[in-house]
Amino acid sequence: MSDTTNRRPNFSNLPENVNNRSHNALNIKPTAAKKLVIKNLKSEPKLPDDYREQTWKKLKSAVLAIQQSKPNEYSLEELYQAVENMCNHKMAFLLYQKLYSLTEQYVAHNIEQFLTESMDRYLFLKKMSDTWQAHCNQMIMVRSIFLYLDRTYILQNHISSIWDMGLELFSKYILLNTLVQTRVVEGLLMLIEKERQGDQVDRTLLKSLLRMLTDLQIYDKAFEQKFLQATERLYAAEGQRLMQELEVPDYLAHVDKRITEENERVIHYLDPATKYQLIHTVEKQLLREHVTQILQKGLDQLLCEFRLEDLSLLFNLLSRVKNGLVDLCSAFNAYIKKKGRTIVIDPEKDKTMVQELLDFKDSMDNVVNNCFHKHERFGNSLKEAFENFINQRTNKPAELIAKFVDSKLRAGNKEATEEELERLLDKIMVLFRFIHGKDVFEAFYKKDLAKRLLVGKSASVDAEKSMLSKLKQECGGGFTSKLEGMFKDMELSKDINQAFKQHLTVNSRDLPQIEMTVSILTMGYWPTYQPMEVTLPDQMVRLQDVFKDFYLSKHSGRKLQWQPTLGHCVLKASFKLGPKELVVSLFQTLVLILFNDCYELAFDYIKEVTNIEDGELRRTLQSLACGKARVLIKIPKGRDVQDDDRFRFNDEFTNKLFRIKINQIQMKETTEEQKATEERVFQDRQYQIDAAIVRIMKMRKTLSHNLLISELYIQLKFPVKPADLKKRIESLIDRDYMERDKDNPIQYNYVA
Amino acid sequence: MADENDNERIDENQRPDKMFTLKKWNAVAMWSWDVECDTCAICRVQVMDACLRCQAESKKDSYGKQDCVVVWGECNHSFHYCCMSLWVKQNNRCPLCQQEWSIQRMGK
Ligand SMILES: [Zn+2]
Ligand SMILES: [Zn+2]
Ligand SMILES: [Zn+2]
Repeated sequence: MSDTTNRRPNFSNLPENVNNRSHNALNIKPTAAKKLVIKNLKSEPKLPDDYREQTWKKLKSAVLAIQQSKPNEYSLEELYQAVENMCNHKMAFLLYQKLYSLTEQYVAHNIEQFLTESMDRYLFLKKMSDTWQAHCNQMIMVRSIFLYLDRTYILQNHISSIWDMGLELFSKYILLNTLVQTRVVEGLLMLIEKERQGDQVDRTLLKSLLRMLTDLQIYDKAFEQKFLQATERLYAAEGQRLMQELEVPDYLAHVDKRITEENERVIHYLDPATKYQLIHTVEKQLLREHVTQILQKGLDQLLCEFRLEDLSLLFNLLSRVKNGLVDLCSAFNAYIKKKGRTIVIDPEKDKTMVQELLDFKDSMDNVVNNCFHKHERFGNSLKEAFENFINQRTNKPAELIAKFVDSKLRAGNKEATEEELERLLDKIMVLFRFIHGKDVFEAFYKKDLAKRLLVGKSASVDAEKSMLSKLKQECGGGFTSKLEGMFKDMELSKDINQAFKQHLTVNSRDLPQIEMTVSILTMGYWPTYQPMEVTLPDQMVRLQDVFKDFYLSKHSGRKLQWQPTLGHCVLKASFKLGPKELVVSLFQTLVLILFNDCYELAFDYIKEVTNIEDGELRRTLQSLACGKARVLIKIPKGRDVQDDDRFRFNDEFTNKLFRIKINQIQMKETTEEQKATEERVFQDRQYQIDAAIVRIMKMRKTLSHNLLISELYIQLKFPVKPADLKKRIESLIDRDYMERDKDNPIQYNYVA
Repeated sequence: MADENDNERIDENQRPDKMFTLKKWNAVAMWSWDVECDTCAICRVQVMDACLRCQAESKKDSYGKQDCVVVWGECNHSFHYCCMSLWVKQNNRCPLCQQEWSIQRMGK
């Protein structure tokens, strides 16, 4: 195909071949040549008088023989020599003129056959192609005879070569005839249109004729423009029609097919220079004109049904047209926001929100990576869209993400190996990154972490630490310092308990044989718990007091507040059918040990003796008498605990396990509790704003109001209004941490 | 009311006299500074938290508290030690009661 890139006449590279005397295309006997050459050399330089006429006669007969496809009576060698002799005797000009008029007569005569009234279009084109091919062959032969003229006289005088002369005459007498040209071009367009409709056409014929137009240098003017107009008309109509008729994926496949076909057309018969405009025209009419409709009608469906191949095709096609990807990207963005909003906004779907978000993120990542070539614009848009919709519901997504993490870090979550868990946590961190109220997450995360740490329900210390370091990496040490403090408290508690054990052996007092350990929590690190007073049995009170004295002797200036709601115990129980160990809460313990003295007790009595808060007590009794492991019997039976219910020790209790955990029934998190958590988050934000302002001012010493505000927005991990920041700044000015510049009221100075 | 059930507490003399014995007890307690007012009057941050300047520094990798302890004056008023040590450089009186400041004890 190398010659398709060259727009020059296609026989122009022939002289090398023609120069070869044994050229097969020439119908000439080479043998007689030698003699004549020798004779000529031996003869006198003086020519006979009729030499000119005789020689031309010979040459003319040769040209006429070529034109009429008849055998030539002279050898090529002889004819060639004749031309050389004439040229060398100053007859070149004459020779050229004579050859010109001979060719002109012949070409001019050829037009006749193309002017007849009615001729089948195909036959017409075929005839034209044949005539052209014959013309080219004849001119090659003629040139090989007149080669000497071509190389000397013509070259020196800068006039048209024999080949070019042939083209000029062919153009002038045949193709510049309006009727003929119209017939040729319309015929070509008709053939191409037929092919576009799916018919087989003679591509060789198309190629030959288009080549002819190129060689005659009328391809652009006579054909290309009309061809592009026809293309535009065709695809404009087709685009309109198929957008209505086809589903988007089918439409895209069709467009893809069209583009491939048109490219093949360029390869097979069009001039390569037409390619850019041709493909552009197709893209414009089939794609650019319909981008909005394609996206409106089809994108949501493709994304929803996760049709990766169609999405790839959509991306590839739209990347061909101006702004196609920009439009695709904004439609993609809009889809994520719309779909994402339905995931987060509906309280009915809270249970599955996080898993759905993870799945949604996965699938959209997949689309960007595999269909959109990891295009940066799409990656960023994906992030922007997630950040946008996830924050459309205040606080809830943050809360649910925290709870989701809890469910994965809690013991008993057997669905994941360490590596799987780690990968999952990484994915959750991606969601977390989008959350504006990161401190809301922290508040809820902390509540669950407290439970895991205190009840020893954490699945893996490594996973806990890993999650913590991820949070720290994302939000900085200030964000995780309290969470880290909780872990530190647990470690310190171990040391304290060790020391307390020692203390007891040294100061062996008459203390009950209970193995007591205490978790000492630093207030402020941990969630706050409702203070609850209960009545403990004397021996427990004594033990508690001994510990308290021991602890405060080590830590002056502190006070301790017991948290009975968080305590838990191991009880030995003796049933008729054998001893058991019960793992229970402190409240459950307080209730159960009452049955050491009595076989059956009334609700009111238990309430009075233990002093456990009413609702809490009812839930406790429910867990002991209505749960899976019923160590008490409720009288009368029933799920809810009534005021006049009675409870009896279940001596018949049996269980295949020796150690039995009786779950405390958790109170449903009330809306007030939720509010309280959010309120604390809000309170904490004020401190964090203050700290950030002081931190920035300490570093910068002096700063304008606007710069301070913008630095704050970078540092703070939660949404905040400028008015609130202003209030905090005023407050810090009041407290002498900073001051307004005396000369410039919108500038602040740090006060050391 | 216990008495009437006594006769039903069947015949098994060999069983321990108690149905339930407490074997292990994990208690939980929260510690805080033993102060009258839980907010530091100088920086207005809770004394259980690090003072404002320490928070602003937020030294990395240290556990929350950053050695920002509480100090009590003879007047029994308490502040962050950091806050008070800066305060006394300018004015050696308690910011709350104006008594001359002298340290009674420090938290640890
Ligand atoms: Zn302070
Ligand atoms: Zn401090
Ligand atoms: Zn004072």
